[in-house]
Amino acid sequence: MRHHSRCAVTFALVLSAALVLAQAATRPHYGGTLRVEVEASIETADPPQTGPGMADLSGAFSVTRWEGGRVAVYSANDDAPGGRPFLDSVEIQMGRPLREQAIDLELKKADIVELGPSEARRGQVSRRMLASSPVRLLVLVFSERISDARIREALALAVDRSAIHNVLLQRQGEIAGALLPQWISGCAFLFPTAADLGRARGLAAALPQQSRALTLSFDAPGFRPIAERIALNARDAGLAVSVSQRNAGADVRLVEERIADAQPSRALANLAAALGLPQPARGETPEELYSAERALLEGSRAIPLFHLPDVYGVNPRVKGGPGITPLGQWRFSDLWLDTVRP
Amino acid sequence: MTFRTRLLWVVTLAVVASVGLVEWLAAGTTRDAFERVEAQRVNALVAQFQREFARRGEEVVRAVQAIAASEAALNIALASDYAPFYNEAPALASANGLDLLELVADDGSIISSAEWPARFGYKEDWLANTSDWKARGAFLRREELADGYTLAMASVGEALAGDRRVYVAGGQKLDREFLSTLVLPEGMRVLLYLNSAGAFSPAELIGPAGPEAQPALLMPLIDDVRRNPREINQTVGSGSSAEIFHARPLLGLNNELLGVLLVGSSRRDLVQMETSLRNIGMVLGAGGILVGIALSWWATARVTRPVRILAESAKKVAAGNWDTTVEAGPEDEIGQLARAFNRMTQELVAQRERLVQAERVAAWRELARRLAHELKNPLFPLQITVENMQRARAQAPEQFDEVFREGTGTLLAELANLKQIIGRFSDFSKMPAPQKRTLQLNELVADAMKFFEPQFAQAHIAAKTDLDPNLPAISADPEQIARVLRNLVLNAIDAMPQGGALLVKTAARNGGIRIEVADTGQGLTPEECDRLFTPYYTTKTHGTGLGLAIVQSVISDHQGRIWVESQPGKGTAFRIDLG
Repeated sequence: MRHHSRCAVTFALVLSAALVLAQAATRPHYGGTLRVEVEASIETADPPQTGPGMADLSGAFSVTRWEGGRVAVYSANDDAPGGRPFLDSVEIQMGRPLREQAIDLELKKADIVELGPSEARRGQVSRRMLASSPVRLLVLVFSERISDARIREALALAVDRSAIHNVLLQRQGEIAGALLPQWISGCAFLFPTAADLGRARGLAAALPQQSRALTLSFDAPGFRPIAERIALNARDAGLAVSVSQRNAGADVRLVEERIADAQPSRALANLAAALGLPQPARGETPEELYSAERALLEGSRAIPLFHLPDVYGVNPRVKGGPGITPLGQWRFSDLWLDTVRP
Repeated sequence: MTFRTRLLWVVTLAVVASVGLVEWLAAGTTRDAFERVEAQRVNALVAQFQREFARRGEEVVRAVQAIAASEAALNIALASDYAPFYNEAPALASANGLDLLELVADDGSIISSAEWPARFGYKEDWLANTSDWKARGAFLRREELADGYTLAMASVGEALAGDRRVYVAGGQKLDREFLSTLVLPEGMRVLLYLNSAGAFSPAELIGPAGPEAQPALLMPLIDDVRRNPREINQTVGSGSSAEIFHARPLLGLNNELLGVLLVGSSRRDLVQMETSLRNIGMVLGAGGILVGIALSWWATARVTRPVRILAESAKKVAAGNWDTTVEAGPEDEIGQLARAFNRMTQELVAQRERLVQAERVAAWRELARRLAHELKNPLFPLQITVENMQRARAQAPEQFDEVFREGTGTLLAELANLKQIIGRFSDFSKMPAPQKRTLQLNELVADAMKFFEPQFAQAHIAAKTDLDPNLPAISADPEQIARVLRNLVLNAIDAMPQGGALLVKTAARNGGIRIEVADTGQGLTPEECDRLFTPYYTTKTHGTGLGLAIVQSVISDHQGRIWVESQPGKGTAFRIDLG
């Protein structure tokens, strides 16, 4: 009996000690600087006031140092709505290539970095990541100069989205046939995405020889492989597509547009405006929205390719969360650092 | 052209031909020797290049096998999903010094491509056609790129993980950079033609510095290899810019012609050496020819001197100096000729003296015969007349006076005749020297023709003249020339007893004049023509035979020439050249 009592007491002590330790591990810590690296470089004299990322830090944090294109330091607002953030400050390094960001994360020089598709796929097993919903639309937009719908349709049918998604994007995001992602519109799956090389060849063959040559431009260097793969697909269809970066006079542009609004009608209208498409009819019901979106894509003036999420690699010392909204807005006020560095 | 000049020409031509032949043979032999050495050099260089080419192939094989044996390739072979490895090839290619690298799944799908990253997922079915790639070594392959195609020295390795396999197909481009890294000896260059269907494309012919500047020069050689793939050596270009090109067909796995490798060796040094030797040979040849000509000049002068002396002596003999002799010299052919010449002139002199004596005797005999003949004719009437007078005094004194009167008359007449005969002989012996002055021959001819007009009419002769109005004046004795003309006209009248035609013609000739007196008489035989100008020779029944002798004497005194042309039955023409 005494033996049993002693065992019970010991068990109770061990259990209570474990609970204390567990509570200590999950308790937020105050203080510390969250170091963030991004590839983008904002060269303006003043910090951005709108959009995801640095503009979203306003409220919980306020800018204390701004060097356009290099670094921005945000300090915690003690009187922020909802209370002071756990972090003392957030330091954002701009213009960091993805490869260097990955190295900095590996060496624990950075706490949050952007991840490209390859890094994101490798990190799925070993790393903690922050990811938004697919909010970046990768789309081909034709110049007004390309008036023959057959060449636009031929290119749309030639692109093998599946191969690009599997290999170049490492299955990140979603294959897109619609402008709005499935999680916003709910009807994206209705838009066809499969390539039809035979039909593409037929359309291209009907074109005059000089019309089969196109120039394709892309902005971000990371999109070059995708642009070259599209050119290769187009070559199989009988189109001669030459690829170049930042060519304002190109026949087709491979562009990325961010969806900043989760409300479908507004998101569609914003995308149409950004892509130079006619403003869609306002639709409140899913059927109206589908019709409006379908009308926008009629004639293949714009060819949606993929919806991609924002993906960040996170240092294990970063705790809390979620840190990012489905639209890709930062929520660093929810994060804290496990150990504060001297 | 003198004998010496001809001999000089012959010797000179012989020297030039000999020197030229020796020069040609020496140059040809030297050139052949240099060509052989050059060919050996080119073959050695080509062999060296081919070793270098093979070494580069071995490097490619080693690099590909290293990649195939690497942990990275093994990881890919083990992976269930190849998508994460689509970007592996560029790094592996760069680390192993390859331009081209494709990692290909067992089903032929490209996992990753260094040369064309966008081609992932595309098929490379040709890899399954060979079972043992390791034993295959390096081979040539035409590789398609995003911006065209390239020729590559390739190799294939296999990364095996159990029953899973990944092909490693890598290589180095055979392009401008590849060519520029080849270690080539001095004076050698390498060009590459990328073969494609259709006609020769100049843009596909490249060298280490880029497109070949003069592709058209190499087009025939390349087309030859394209038609019939084989190794060919050919000289391209000319002069110091010429090159010997060794063309080597580059065949692919299925023996298809992928390109033509051209290894060129400059002939500049060879051509310069040949040019230098030729120049030296020409200088030596020219020197030899000049020396040969100088020696020929001296030798011909030495050889032809006795001949020249002989010729000059012969001229003297021809001019009448028959006692001319030459120095005999040594006992050679020339010496024998000189001695023969001297004997000949001695014989000539002796013969002339004998001939002169004979002619003198003949002339005296002819003179005696002619004198006897001429004097006998008048003597016979004299004898008859005297005998008639003696007979009349003795037999019929009453008629003596009459006979005496007639006889003395006859005697006087015959004596006058004898006196005339003697006078003519006297005239011939006393031909005076010509008293020359400038005269117009046409006037003398006209006077002579006028003088004989009565005789022409009596003898029924149609006399005509054909006088050259441009006849130049000559220097001559007018009396003697007039006598010549009258003699010739008189002869013509005598030659035409039955009448005929007489033509006297004058003409300018080579700065002098020619006189022709032609008749249509009975003509002369060749023998008569030969003796016609001999004194006291006549074909007539009367006359002294001194007329034409006097004519020839006058013409000779005027440094002229007279000759006769005649045909029996057709007439005779006397021609005289004066001045």
